[in-house]
Amino acid sequence: MGRIILEARNIRYRYPRGMDAIQGISFHVRKGEKIALVGPNGAGKSTLLLMFNGMIRPDSGIILFDNTPIRYDRASLRTLRKRVGFVMQNPDRQIISPTVFQDVAFGPTNLGYSEQETKGAVENALRHVGLEGFDRRPPHHLSGGEKKRVAIAGVLAMDPDVLVFDEPTSGLDPSGSEDIMELLEELNQQGKTVIISTHDIELAYPWADRAILLLNGKILQEDVPDVAFGNQEMVRKARLSVPTLLELYLELERRGFRLPERRPRTVLDMINVIDRAFRNKPCYTEPGRIALLDVDAPGDVDLEIWQAARPEVSIGAMGTRAKQFAMDGKIPLDFTYGVIDKCILKALLGEDSLIIITRSMVRRVHERVEEFCRENQVRITVLTLSTNREEDGPGLTSPE
Amino acid sequence: MYEELLEDIAQQNGLREVNTYTKLAAGIGGILLCLLSMSFVAPLFIAFVLSFSILFLARIDAKTYGKIFVAPVVFALFSVSVIILLAGGEMAFWRWQPLSWLSLSLTRESINEGVFVFSRVIGGMSALLFIALTTPMTDLFVVMRRARLPEEVLDLTMIIYRTIFMIMSHMVLVYQAQLMRLGYRSFRESIRSFATLCGAVFVASWEAGEDLIKAMEARCYEGKFAVLGDGSPVRLTSALAVLSFLLVSGVIVMTTRNITFI
Repeated sequence: MGRIILEARNIRYRYPRGMDAIQGISFHVRKGEKIALVGPNGAGKSTLLLMFNGMIRPDSGIILFDNTPIRYDRASLRTLRKRVGFVMQNPDRQIISPTVFQDVAFGPTNLGYSEQETKGAVENALRHVGLEGFDRRPPHHLSGGEKKRVAIAGVLAMDPDVLVFDEPTSGLDPSGSEDIMELLEELNQQGKTVIISTHDIELAYPWADRAILLLNGKILQEDVPDVAFGNQEMVRKARLSVPTLLELYLELERRGFRLPERRPRTVLDMINVIDRAFRNKPCYTEPGRIALLDVDAPGDVDLEIWQAARPEVSIGAMGTRAKQFAMDGKIPLDFTYGVIDKCILKALLGEDSLIIITRSMVRRVHERVEEFCRENQVRITVLTLSTNREEDGPGLTSPE
Repeated sequence: MYEELLEDIAQQNGLREVNTYTKLAAGIGGILLCLLSMSFVAPLFIAFVLSFSILFLARIDAKTYGKIFVAPVVFALFSVSVIILLAGGEMAFWRWQPLSWLSLSLTRESINEGVFVFSRVIGGMSALLFIALTTPMTDLFVVMRRARLPEEVLDLTMIIYRTIFMIMSHMVLVYQAQLMRLGYRSFRESIRSFATLCGAVFVASWEAGEDLIKAMEARCYEGKFAVLGDGSPVRLTSALAVLSFLLVSGVIVMTTRNITFI
């Protein structure tokens, strides 16, 4: 657990028209955490989020960033807003400039970066969100998802420690929402603290480290997602719904099945629960293997040849650059979201899979697979693909 | 209601990646040569070359180009016919004096003058459209900054540019909502609906302005707008093409000085 980076102490806020928006909220966020703020419309989510970068000043109570109370003079606010990046719900409202490049460069320019530094920051940010080569496009020619990415890049260019998203998936199609959630996961893996507000509990449930249920300007409940979303009464009060997987688990439990302690957060977890409950072992064949192809150090792997030799292997991509890599190489992807879990599912069926991956996500795969193997006493091998010649190093043998 | 804007076409034209100055040289050079020319030949040549590049190099849809061209041509035809009838001259083919102070005539000089003016309009229009259709506003901002336009003006221009499209899409939404509820059924109704449309758009733009300030503040605004990235560099082939076009046109301007239509 990291140290506390953001903390609210008994904050209250009243709208100018006299309605109470926030009625005494205290909580804290640790460095590197993923927090989901959920609640019905008008619960005060956006208001609360806007306090984190000093856009709204609470009437009473204090907010601490990095253990020092936020101060509201111009210079302090600038430093704060550099370190706490805010991505608004409507990207059209956030994008200011006539071209993508200029918009992403807006923050760095105002922070006084040199032209060269600005250019570097912009290129880096655009690469992060997968919009390389969009520099000169005007924002009104982009799709909703692309606009959202531009807005995110504009914030990333300032290299903040904390990223605050107001409804990051609103107005996006399901695949676009998944891509954005995956991007948030990737940013978190790179050490950013991420706070989002959302209605979409199905997306927030597997993603968040902690969920905060908000109602009428008060915290209704604050806990790990399976507890926070598992309390049906609270969830109903907050005008949300219990995530399908969790509901299924709870119903099985009520019917007296002996289930593992840990509540399922993904389809993989659920399959595991069912296998345990009905057959009492997770895997029936020799488990398949998972190969990783690091796009930051691809070695001399010719993916086309590799893939032609193993047409049955499913391929997934993790990380924006990995997806870009797959797109450039016209590699058909089977999974782009929840990739690790889907590959473990394949492995449990005895099938091999390949993950095209960016360096920063490699550790996450190892951790997740090891955790799964430890909990379930199976052995799934994770290999790194670095060469075509199998005698030279670990390659994935074609399943024959 | 939603028409394709010149700007949208320009953003996707085939000459987008050609250096902005090269394109401006062709366009502005074309206009200047049209003005310098003393005969109708050079402007027509310029119109031909630039229209050809618009259609085949920039790959602008011929129908779209024709549509854009029709309005000024019709306008020019009216003006030119007035010039031809009123200019007067010595070699008259036809003369008529319906009123004591009004005499209409068709003379050799007036026809020459009319054809000359008309060809200039065509030449100038194609040069202007060449710029408009191949160089989007976003690229012109770079030129404006180079030209030392005051920062305030430039920043304002860029914000307005960005906002126009947002407000326009909002306007389209409101208009469609009105249309769906038969808001433009009668003349009276149309006027009423149009008034509410204007009101709604005004409120929306006001809100957009407030949001803009918030957005800028949230992103550490300090009075600076990002420097525009440089466009594509000057390429030898395109620069040579433009240069030879201007040279040939210049030669035509010089040599055809004395040629008249009839």
